[in-house]
Amino acid sequence: VKRLERFKLPDRETDGPAQQGYVVITIISAVILVLIFVAEAAIGQSFYEGKTITMIAGTEPGGTLDMRTKALTHFLKKHIPGEPTIITEHMPGAGGRKAANYMYRVARPDGLTIGTPVSGFLMLAVLKEPGVDYDIHKFIYLGAPDGVAHYIFHSRKEASLSNLEKLRAASGVRIGAQNVGHTIYVVGRLFAYALGLKDARFVTGYSGVELDAALVRGEIDARPNLAETLIRRTPEFVDKGLMDLHGILEAPAGKKHPRFSYLPEIASFARSDKARSVIEMFRASRTTGGPYILPPGTPKERADVLKEAVRKTFNDPAYQTEYKKLVGDDLAPVTADDVEKAIKALKPDAEMIELYKKIAGPGALPIQ
Amino acid sequence: MEASLFDAAIKGFFNILQLKVFFAMLIGVSIGTFTAVAPQGLGMPLVYAILLPVVIKWEPVTGIALLIGASSVSAICAAYLPILFGIPGGSGSQATVLDGYPMGKKGEGRRALGASFMAGGMGCLIGTLTLIIAIPAAKPLIYLMGSPELFVIMLWGLSMVAVLAGRRPIKGLIAAALGLMIATVGQQAQSGIMRYVFDQPYLLDGMAISIIALALFGIPSALDLALTKLGVEQQAVPLKGSLFDGIKDTLREWWLVVRCSFVGVWVGIVPGLGSQVVDWLAYGHAAQSAKVGRENFGKGDVRGVIAPESANDAKDGGDLVTTLLLGFPQGVTTALFIVALLAWGYLPGPEMIKKNADMIYSIVWIQGIAGITGTLVGFLLAAQLAKLAEVRYTFMVPIMFIFILLGAFSVNRDPLDLVVVVGFGILGYFMRRSGYPRPAMILGLVLGDLMEKYLYRSVASYGFSWLARPAVIVLLALAALSLFFTLRGQMRARKEASASTFSGAVARSASES
Repeated sequence: VKRLERFKLPDRETDGPAQQGYVVITIISAVILVLIFVAEAAIGQSFYEGKTITMIAGTEPGGTLDMRTKALTHFLKKHIPGEPTIITEHMPGAGGRKAANYMYRVARPDGLTIGTPVSGFLMLAVLKEPGVDYDIHKFIYLGAPDGVAHYIFHSRKEASLSNLEKLRAASGVRIGAQNVGHTIYVVGRLFAYALGLKDARFVTGYSGVELDAALVRGEIDARPNLAETLIRRTPEFVDKGLMDLHGILEAPAGKKHPRFSYLPEIASFARSDKARSVIEMFRASRTTGGPYILPPGTPKERADVLKEAVRKTFNDPAYQTEYKKLVGDDLAPVTADDVEKAIKALKPDAEMIELYKKIAGPGALPIQ
Repeated sequence: MEASLFDAAIKGFFNILQLKVFFAMLIGVSIGTFTAVAPQGLGMPLVYAILLPVVIKWEPVTGIALLIGASSVSAICAAYLPILFGIPGGSGSQATVLDGYPMGKKGEGRRALGASFMAGGMGCLIGTLTLIIAIPAAKPLIYLMGSPELFVIMLWGLSMVAVLAGRRPIKGLIAAALGLMIATVGQQAQSGIMRYVFDQPYLLDGMAISIIALALFGIPSALDLALTKLGVEQQAVPLKGSLFDGIKDTLREWWLVVRCSFVGVWVGIVPGLGSQVVDWLAYGHAAQSAKVGRENFGKGDVRGVIAPESANDAKDGGDLVTTLLLGFPQGVTTALFIVALLAWGYLPGPEMIKKNADMIYSIVWIQGIAGITGTLVGFLLAAQLAKLAEVRYTFMVPIMFIFILLGAFSVNRDPLDLVVVVGFGILGYFMRRSGYPRPAMILGLVLGDLMEKYLYRSVASYGFSWLARPAVIVLLALAALSLFFTLRGQMRARKEASASTFSGAVARSASES
């Protein structure tokens, strides 16, 4: 302040102690403001300049999640001030728990580690499954690229289950899926539960491709599948009428699939509030997509820089094209705020958790 | 079909007659060779994942040349590690260690490498030819095998324990049972039940077979060198054999190459079998069907190198049958290849046969040419790389440990894998000392998971009526006959050579230590 007095204007009659005080306060405020701007610039630009961000992917190289990450990194780099280098480290295992545990317990909250565990890591925590050492409400979410999904429940033509009445009347329909707890398994169980299928038998242990072959061979009668996968991998199933399509699960609710908008939505099959609630619980978990996360305690300024960069990347047409090329689906972005809102809403009561576990588990299906 | 397949084949060939395509293929070949020699964790899926965002911006045929060039050569050159250092290569090339490493120790490393590349090249060509033949009629092949039939084939595979255990059937059964038990660790897919997990997230997905195989064979090999204080080819035996001896061996065993290549093609075509069984099934077939010198398996018999290598390389052709003609990826690498094709605007499957048959044939041509190039590159490099086996043990042993640990760590990048590799390495060392056949354990481990899956699916889908399926009955009869002839052959061999009794593939080599 004393040094600044050298720059003081000559005293005038009106310059009293009060005016001098205002000048000092104004100068201090200006200095603080400049410092804030400099700091912001430093955090936003200098911080990431020359730095390396590590993406922790919860799957092996080559999966859909890996392709999503690959599509993102090049464009995300462009939208982060300072254009840091972005590398990917794969940490597959335990349905995303391994990567999520790492992000929660080990990764330094310095804004240089972004996690992308498989989307199931959220439900595993909600259901309090073993091996979950993280709190999903403490992560910082940056957004997700895949907030829309459509699952179609279909049966092979030769099974003669051409309409819902026949499907409901049939006993012991064999429904194929990957593993107990896999999203396709849960969707198949939700359809069987909502439709009230009699003694539906779940045959698991297939890969997605094996399931299609098993359907053709007649080893299973029905399966659910993602609409996009159905169209892309086995177009003849739909085009040549080799399958009977029974219903669709839309996530988020009301988001129609352009080609299958005529199919009845799973919620319309439900005959109780409990059934509708458990469907909504699954839908909510799916709507979050596979979010990008930061470790708890990451400085807000850096988290905001990354949130903004992810938002800009999602709006980048070149990224949208690259995403379509590598992933095969259209980008269906969910903002950071929407992911957080959906996760906050994911607080089912004990009864609902119990019901969901029964549906996602290996035992007999509960009755509506 | 819009154009005849012959026209498409010609057009497909002309598509690849470009300098940049050959240049891309050569880059792919270089990448594939490096991947084959590098620790096993740097597998093709990772290489494809790195290359994909780059190549999809190229012209399709150039990008395909790079990708196919890398993957076909990677399989052909995968025999370096097992033959020269006794370290199992990536999946599909693990059984090569059983006879390749003993050949190296006998001073026949070059011969083994020659046989391996020649068999690999021939296998690759047979796989490619199968792909050409399969283009008009691929579908029935895929839908032919249901879960019951696959279960019986796995059961048949398990009967190979009789060969691998040799003179020590009880120890062989114990080792196989241990393998089966380890295969049950993790969350069971069918019931979701946690087995032997002890609340450890590390164990939720089970134990990685590649890490266990690396440990069981690699660490005892390294310890062997350290304890004998000699390099692989300094084991007090004169250097003998050349690359050309290996080529001659392979040409002499052409019928074995053809049979094992078909095993490879079949494993590639059938969804769900995976590359981990291909080398073991081929090795077992070679050992079971050998009419003379069966007792040499496991002690450095060149047929034990030819069988797994030809099958492993032919598998790529089978993989492409399902990938291109049906749009079914058979693994991560082919799934990524489909991603690339989709990005270029091709839809693998029946549509592609109708609309882009020329591109399918371009892929076939590239696969064939890359196979030949890979074989030649293998021969060129082999002479230099084989010298590594003559390096002093003081230098070689640390490098082997680095390869083993780096290879194990790079599978999942989990520090706990290092603990597992050391633990199973010690187990492998003591199994070898006590004459417990390690291949029988690996066989149990590899087949255990598949057998459980297929049996569960068979019962869940068909009840017990699956036992009455005609194909199941035929396959069961064949498996029983095969086991009968194997056991009879063993008994005869014992009678014929009481002094050097047939000891079986690995139990015998184990007793050498």
